[in-house]
Amino acid sequence: MTTMTMPASRSRTDTWLLVLMLWHGLLAVAGLVAVYVAFTGINGGLRFAVAGVLLVLALLSATTVPLIHRRDHRGRSISLVVNYLGFLTCTALLLDMIGAFTGIDDLAQRFGRGLPFLLISFVGYFIRSFGDRFEQFPQRQRSFQRVGNIIMLAGLLLFVLAIINFSGIPALASEILQPVRMALLLGLILFGVMFWAMWRQPVAEVMGVNNARSETLSGYLFLSPNFLGFLLFFAGPLLLSLYTSFTNWDAFGTRDWVGLENYARLLHMTFAQLSSPTQLATEVINTSIFDELFRFSILGKSFIVGAQDKLFWLSIRNTVVFCLIAVPLSVIPALLVGTILNSKLPGMKFFRAVYFIPSVAAVVGVSLIWQWMYNAAVGWINYAITSGIGAVNGLTGLAIADPQMRWLSSADTALLSVALMVAWQTIGFNTVLFVAGMQNIPKVLYEAATVDGAGTWAQFRNVTLPLLGPTTVFVLTTTLIQAFQVFEPIFIMTNPPGGPNNSTLSMVLYLYQNGFQRFRQGYASAIAWVLFLVIFAATVIQFRRQRGGAYEA
Amino acid sequence: MNRRLIFVFSSLLLVASMLLSACAPAATPAPAAPAATEAPAATEAPAVEQPTEAPAMEEVALRWRTRPDNQEEADVYASISDELDAKLEGITLSYEPGGSESSSYQDVLKTEIGAGTAPDVFWIPGSDVGDFAKRGLILNLADQASMTDGFNIDDFYAGPMAALTHNPDTNAEGADSGALWGLPRDVSTFVLYLNNDLLAEAGATDPRELAAKGEWTWDAFLETAQKVRALGSDIYGYGANAWWGPYGTWMNAAGGGFYNADQTACNLNSPESLAGLQFEQDIYQVHDVAVPYGEDSEPPYRAGKVAMFQNGRWATPGTRTVEFDWDVVELPQGPAGDAGNWQFWGAYAVNANTAHPEEAWKLAQALTEADVQAKISSMGANIPSRVSQEAIDAFLTFTPPANNQAFINGLQDNAVAEGPLWAGSWPDFVSVMDARVSALMTGQETIDQFAATICDEAGKAFSQ
Repeated sequence: MTTMTMPASRSRTDTWLLVLMLWHGLLAVAGLVAVYVAFTGINGGLRFAVAGVLLVLALLSATTVPLIHRRDHRGRSISLVVNYLGFLTCTALLLDMIGAFTGIDDLAQRFGRGLPFLLISFVGYFIRSFGDRFEQFPQRQRSFQRVGNIIMLAGLLLFVLAIINFSGIPALASEILQPVRMALLLGLILFGVMFWAMWRQPVAEVMGVNNARSETLSGYLFLSPNFLGFLLFFAGPLLLSLYTSFTNWDAFGTRDWVGLENYARLLHMTFAQLSSPTQLATEVINTSIFDELFRFSILGKSFIVGAQDKLFWLSIRNTVVFCLIAVPLSVIPALLVGTILNSKLPGMKFFRAVYFIPSVAAVVGVSLIWQWMYNAAVGWINYAITSGIGAVNGLTGLAIADPQMRWLSSADTALLSVALMVAWQTIGFNTVLFVAGMQNIPKVLYEAATVDGAGTWAQFRNVTLPLLGPTTVFVLTTTLIQAFQVFEPIFIMTNPPGGPNNSTLSMVLYLYQNGFQRFRQGYASAIAWVLFLVIFAATVIQFRRQRGGAYEA
Repeated sequence: MNRRLIFVFSSLLLVASMLLSACAPAATPAPAAPAATEAPAATEAPAVEQPTEAPAMEEVALRWRTRPDNQEEADVYASISDELDAKLEGITLSYEPGGSESSSYQDVLKTEIGAGTAPDVFWIPGSDVGDFAKRGLILNLADQASMTDGFNIDDFYAGPMAALTHNPDTNAEGADSGALWGLPRDVSTFVLYLNNDLLAEAGATDPRELAAKGEWTWDAFLETAQKVRALGSDIYGYGANAWWGPYGTWMNAAGGGFYNADQTACNLNSPESLAGLQFEQDIYQVHDVAVPYGEDSEPPYRAGKVAMFQNGRWATPGTRTVEFDWDVVELPQGPAGDAGNWQFWGAYAVNANTAHPEEAWKLAQALTEADVQAKISSMGANIPSRVSQEAIDAFLTFTPPANNQAFINGLQDNAVAEGPLWAGSWPDFVSVMDARVSALMTGQETIDQFAATICDEAGKAFSQ
């Protein structure tokens, strides 16, 4: 019987491999045609990207044919990758064309209706699992399993009935019964079948796949959702924004290539000497192009600096100032609080939780509350200051003037006010990181330091701080990146966002305003890439400093 | 039963049901035509006879959106949507309220337009109409309007209709301009919300009496504000929020304005505009009678610490809950002889990519019918955009405030219609103007410094 089956099975495998070779040959030809279509049919630089990807896939497919013919395991790997990507692409395009993605909102609403029935399924699962306790009584175990299965299935069916929309059946049919969509459906099926054919164990054996190679492929398959997600939703948009930064795209029309024009406009500055410090800018710089950025005096001479995009440079200045305020305020107190919370005093666990609460609160809610507290007329902070000064004056007979702070409406204090709020919200998270870092420091070092006569401060300075080096660098880096990207608190707390007089205009807010309010997505993308370079440079410097001086645990 | 079989069966069933739910007609937004790759010419006639995907008698699903000011208003819009759904034959409506504390209505809408998922009909502020029209994001409805029996642009206030019929290619306006970018949802004007208790405590003459006698001028306003301010360091005579609306009225009242007569250049440095700004700066910096510029004035007004709070009709529903005696009065008259009020408005526009332009036009008309506007006005948030004594009479009955007439007087007092900047970029212009006025009002700049460079800076918006 075995001798009869083996040749038949082998023959089927060979047939499948022949079909796969033909399939990949066909794909290679179709791919090359698609390259031509993409290159001639898509405008702008995007055609290079699309045509490039298609060309790579076509060449990979062509390479697969001889490799399969030689029964080379690499042919199987490439074939699986090509078919897998083809299957996913067809599926995604088809779902998009039939409007499945835009209907997800409605699905989410329907999903809520079915949730109670899912509980029934959980009960069924619980009953089924409960049956496993009766391994010594197989009949009883089977009964439990059977009942559990029935309840699970019933729950699932009820759930499906609750969420399903039967009017979707004719809608789906009418959506699919169109030439392009039918072609995608056919592609989806063919790619799926070819993937399955190549994945099968008999084909794998013929292609010389051993266990190690098989496990490697399985590993990549498991990794693929995350990896493809990374490519699609992170790397893809990243590259698209880079491309967009070289165009004048307004988010609606075509992307016309403008080269470095956006970057040139961002960085275009002028510089001139003034005859007097108060000389009008219009007399020395071309104000039809430049706006005055700042003036300075050196060696008795006055100068003026102008920029084509003044707001961009203001946003850089504000962002850097914000970082200089917010980062130390978020890190130094966190280190001190972390030191206290790391002690063995009673109630420390409670306080660790308390300090962490602001970190889990929503930024929007927190910003609105702080905006209210900062209100110059009816805010609690000014109320406390006024009451405090009144009490001090009453008790001492002094006449200390009430400063009547205009926290968010004065250009002198608005950025500081936002930075204080951000620091307040960030301290808790940083504290937890510091506490975790401190708990990793070997206790024996403190014991040795104590024996050597080191006091609390000496221990903190010579043991805790150096050993917290890696944690500190991590905390500094993440806080700095977060500070460079500040947006929500400024957007919500200041009126108008970025005010007063652009004193809180951050780089991300300026990017947002350009992209979404002034119809300049290309320009906004250029700002985003400058911001990326600034953050990247700051991070590299920090890591280099850590490598140079920090203690390696 | 085999576990694997159960798993496979369940998974397939679940996926299939989700797919069907996601593809069901109710869930699917009105199919839009492929996104436009280039902005069509402004005068390009819309495809009136554009074939729709569905047969004529088949039900057409339309989505529409407007920004309600509160939940009650959102509920009214939802009920109006249901009523129109029943009334409009062959059209199924779906209303979506837009905007929230953390998401700007306009920004979300623009993103959706870019993604091709925006509703068929949506409301936009008057100042945005130009940008939307120039970029081909909204449909020119002139041809549909010309074929609609009984449609007359004179049924609406002239200010909004001038902007909505502006043809950017010919600069023509009016019924024969060949352009119609939408229909106005409502109009509104500024008034001063009064805290009568504070005014009485300060011994100030009632502004309503002064207005009735024609004596409500800038000087009278300042005197009133100073009397109230003298009540205490945390009591203010005047409050307004920091945006172009309030400071624009001072400029308008002095005979100035943002642009020149044909709206092709900056006018912020004209003597009249500067006179208005100088008066406002003095309110903050010299007389110190106002809630600090840039602070939200609504909380202190609601807390009973501001005597005169400048705001529009949209603030009425919220003010009805305050615990002091309140009413409204017209803005004071400036040197130019009027109050320089704005005529705020927003319009229902039709998505340029809608698959159903004719039905969308019907919906825009239905949403601006007198009875629909009356229902929304009853919430107290706005004034009907139709010029009709009946609509005004209905509006006047929705009290408090007792002096609703102040809003109507604002409309008739040479109000300047909030207008799109056809010759430039409004977002660019307003961002420069807001920041510089903020510097002026907070004392960072003098009026001379402002005048020296403001139009060099803001004028660049006209080349955008």
